[in-house]
Amino acid sequence: MKLTAFLVAAGLAILSPAALASPLSISLNPASTNPSSPQMGDNLKFQTVIQNNGTEAVDGLIAWISLVQVDKGKEQPVDLEDWSAHKAVTASSLASGGSIKTDWPMRLIQSGNYRVIVSAATRSGQELATSPFSDFTVRQKPVVESGRVLPIALGIPVLIGAGMVLQRRRRAHKQ
Amino acid sequence: MNPIYLIARKETGELLLDIRGLLWLMAVTIVLSAFSLLLVGSTELSLLDNAQVVYDMTAIVTALGCLLALIVGVDTVAGERERGSLVPLLLTPAPRGTILMGKLSGVAIAWAVIYVLSLPYLWAVGSTGQNMGQGMLITALLGTPVVLMFGFLGISLGSRADSARTALLTGLVTLVLSASPVLLGPSLRQSAIGRMFDAVNPFSAAVNAYDAVIIDSQSIISQSTHFAIALAWLFACLWFARFSFGKITR
Repeated sequence: MKLTAFLVAAGLAILSPAALASPLSISLNPASTNPSSPQMGDNLKFQTVIQNNGTEAVDGLIAWISLVQVDKGKEQPVDLEDWSAHKAVTASSLASGGSIKTDWPMRLIQSGNYRVIVSAATRSGQELATSPFSDFTVRQKPVVESGRVLPIALGIPVLIGAGMVLQRRRRAHKQ
Repeated sequence: MNPIYLIARKETGELLLDIRGLLWLMAVTIVLSAFSLLLVGSTELSLLDNAQVVYDMTAIVTALGCLLALIVGVDTVAGERERGSLVPLLLTPAPRGTILMGKLSGVAIAWAVIYVLSLPYLWAVGSTGQNMGQGMLITALLGTPVVLMFGFLGISLGSRADSARTALLTGLVTLVLSASPVLLGPSLRQSAIGRMFDAVNPFSAAVNAYDAVIIDSQSIISQSTHFAIALAWLFACLWFARFSFGKITR
């Protein structure tokens, strides 16, 4: 009976989340150079340290950044194509106790409230390693100034139209 | 006087002084104005990042340049044939190559006019942000071979097709196919077929370089692959135009 209980307890211990936990830990911090109140068009940088806390090296490491918008009614993952040119880092192997430091630059495209997170997976690991969230807010910035656009948008076609009228008159005058 | 200069001056005159040419330019500026006004009038679009707006504008300018170059290219041969003025031109002592050079110059001047007309628009929508000057420069450097390529294609089609309408329709289908990266979203372009198409398409080469330089702030020099694709197509179409123009018999 005691032996059975011991075997059950040992099995549960092996299958427990702690035993399956990733050997990787990820810290995520905004760079000290980031603006305190960023607005559209600003650049932010996040810094991560991915550490292998396990007793063995991990192979085929890939880490990537994810960004989600959390505004009420606009909850969505953000396509990073235009936000960041640096979407993933890879390493063929990370030794036990080793770490990788990475900077994640990001250009702010749209206003709103966002949460950024960095995740890492390995070739054979069963668990996804994730960093804590880092939150930021992007202030709105109207980038197209109507005061500049209106004179150009209305003036140039009018100038060409005036050229056409002048040309027609000149031709009529010749005839 | 040099016949190339004379023909180029005639072609330019038809664009800048003829009512029909001015109507084309008017149409181009109306499209640019409509897009600019949309940026101001639409709440969503007015919040677009400045670099994104400049990128969109350069892509539209290039597409319009290709369209006008194609029309001018077709009209300069097939249009003249239908108006009865091509045969007298071919009967002059000027060599075919010289006549073709004059007509190619006409296409180049049409693009130069569109480019100059686009500059105030680029300034109006992009002067408050980053990379506007780089955007103007990359449009001149990479837009030029792509636009001229379509002009040369128009001359080739105009030389070979039975009518201007057939040549124009064929050219427009080619242009729409080539300019599809502007219409398709980035996700569709990430498919295997989309990537293959992007790798050989000169229009994709131009817009991808615009994206890299204007939005991602990469250097113009790093766009050598895109330049190579655009120049390869330019020289291929130049060869095709020379070959087709040399074969004209009526």
